[in-house]
Amino acid sequence: MKLEIENLTKKFQDVAAVDGVSCTLTTGVYGLLGVNGAGKTTLMRMLCTLLKPTEGRILWDGKDIFELDGAYRRVLGYLPQDFGFYPDFTVRDYLRYISSIKGLRPVAARQRTALLLQQVGLEKAENKKMKKLSGGMKRRVGIAQAMLNDPRILILDEPTAGLDPNERIRFRNLISELAQDRLVLLSTHIVSDIEYIANEILLMKDGKICIAGTTEELTAGMPEQVWRVSVPRNEAASYTKRYKVSNIKTLHGEAQLRILSVERPADNAVLEEAVLEDVFLHYFGERAGGGEE
Amino acid sequence: MNQKIPYKSMPPKRVRHKKITDRHNGKEQIYYEIRKVLSGTRSRMAFLLLALVLGITLYFALGVEYVNEAGESERGPAAVASLRAAQKAWSGYLEEETIRQVIAENRRINETPEGRSEQIKESNIAYGWKQGIAEIRSLLNCSYAEAFRTYDYYRADSLTEEAAGAFYENRTRLLQEWLADEAGDQYLEAEKVYLIGKYESLETPFYYDYRKGWTQLFTFAPTVVMITMLFLGYLVAGIFSNEFVWRADAVFFASCHGRDRAVAAKVWAGVGIVTAVYWMVMLIYSAAVLGYLGADGWNCPVQTEQGDWKCFYHLTVWQKYVLIAAGGYVGCLFMAGLCMLVSARVRSAVPAVMVPFVLIFLPSFLGNLESAAVNKILGLLPDRLLQVGTALGYFDLYTLGGRVMGAVPILLVLYGIGAAAVLPVVYWCFVRS
Repeated sequence: MKLEIENLTKKFQDVAAVDGVSCTLTTGVYGLLGVNGAGKTTLMRMLCTLLKPTEGRILWDGKDIFELDGAYRRVLGYLPQDFGFYPDFTVRDYLRYISSIKGLRPVAARQRTALLLQQVGLEKAENKKMKKLSGGMKRRVGIAQAMLNDPRILILDEPTAGLDPNERIRFRNLISELAQDRLVLLSTHIVSDIEYIANEILLMKDGKICIAGTTEELTAGMPEQVWRVSVPRNEAASYTKRYKVSNIKTLHGEAQLRILSVERPADNAVLEEAVLEDVFLHYFGERAGGGEE
Repeated sequence: MNQKIPYKSMPPKRVRHKKITDRHNGKEQIYYEIRKVLSGTRSRMAFLLLALVLGITLYFALGVEYVNEAGESERGPAAVASLRAAQKAWSGYLEEETIRQVIAENRRINETPEGRSEQIKESNIAYGWKQGIAEIRSLLNCSYAEAFRTYDYYRADSLTEEAAGAFYENRTRLLQEWLADEAGDQYLEAEKVYLIGKYESLETPFYYDYRKGWTQLFTFAPTVVMITMLFLGYLVAGIFSNEFVWRADAVFFASCHGRDRAVAAKVWAGVGIVTAVYWMVMLIYSAAVLGYLGADGWNCPVQTEQGDWKCFYHLTVWQKYVLIAAGGYVGCLFMAGLCMLVSARVRSAVPAVMVPFVLIFLPSFLGNLESAAVNKILGLLPDRLLQVGTALGYFDLYTLGGRVMGAVPILLVLYGIGAAAVLPVVYWCFVRS
């Protein structure tokens, strides 16, 4: 089971949204991390055959996915960033319809729908109309529809967008549960979404995968070190101008800064262990969290 | 930290289901596609509106009056029964003797004090006596008209029994005079020969019977068909575009059958909706009108009705009904196909829903140009299929490969093929989205 991406490029007029991406994905959870506008959604839409690449190709077990066509989509589950649905369908009808266009037999569709509704905690909402669901419930229906055909490739584009913290955690755990024996590619611009569940993280910037690896590899490979510095509150601003500051915590007139720097930024600086958020800050700097994709 | 808030905890397990079949899903997909269209509140409102319009149309279609012996207008089943009985008394072949009797009866009534009276009440009583021969009297007005395109309501009152023999001859004579004079440059020689041939070969004498049910049915049929088409346009306009409007397209196209069977299901859902709604409306409308007013006269030639006296098609009343129903269906199917095509292409229901409006109402504006060339084109536009009953009365002739024919058969074949051809285009267009 191997998904190979070879020199994949997608241009919209002259702008390359995805620029020469190459990587190989096998079983496991892959976190695609990048700021808004990095090209994550474009890459995922190509992986779902929704967009044709300008250059390059995507191979599933050695065969081009666009040539495999329906046979490839048969093993694919996709939750788009902007998950749309049929507002007047009930949850059950929606899942039954998606089952039918995914090619499930009616009997299998019924069983699968019941199981997934249970798994995502929506058994009691199965007769509710889709338009009446909360944002979190809609997302759960979204993951259920992606799982209907028991896909070998599960692509989740910003699945936690718009969810409250509790829902985010629930969602993360659910994805972890569902991830066994399949390839899961999950895009996000929120580090905590993938920090604990991704086997490998791909950092995407300006349409390119700038670095990939496990959390440990990424933190170990970071050229800068992470420092904790306590300074008077009125000096904090000067540090943020000179260094990449990943966090500022103020306490009793004092500011405690978390700084990324090759050199010790202050005499009282204490070395801290780097986490994925620091890697994110290192690569994306002040752009982190800006712009819409 | 990674706080664990579990869902209903259950071990992740793979369900062993017979994965993916290419069968069994087609009907289910069509069913859900139809549900997508019909489950919305707006669709239900549209159905209610259609029912209301149909109800109003039926109110007028069934509003047949009978003037009783006292000169008062009656409505309702009893009035229909009285009118039916009065006209049934004159049913049979319209031979010279029958025409003579009608002329005589008309004159007899005219010469009564009530017939000569200027008083409304008295006149109404006289009119009441004429109801049995009213339809045949209208045919006399057509037959003995001064010219082909004139109609004088009182022409029958000036006839004498001696004129009865010319009843059928007049029809052809007036046409010949019209073609030789007023319409001389509108038709090719072959077309003139064709028209005269059609007139001469029409079997006479006509069989006449009470046929008010059919007359009313035909009168309001274009309204019913056009309203149904506008309604269908509204329904099918969203079949394709709503995937984009609801942003459901990504999941749809990323599914196994998202670029084949599921798209075909959409097309079939459109065809299914058009077929079911159209025939349901036609059935309700026809059953209500014919059930109330009666289906008598089904085997009469269409020329036994004043409006169709000049019709050159050799058709009986039931054949005309079949043509109206079939033409309406083909027209609706074709226009609905165009709606779906626009919907799939532009990803919006708004321009799609405008398609039937444009196709139905634009020819009305162009018709004011009064150009022979424009009329030739107008005669073959799809709006004519929604009003075949009216189109049968038009003298739209086309010469194809040396063969002259009327517009109606061309329309049926042309748009039958068009409807069948537009559906694969819709499919292809959406698959490539």
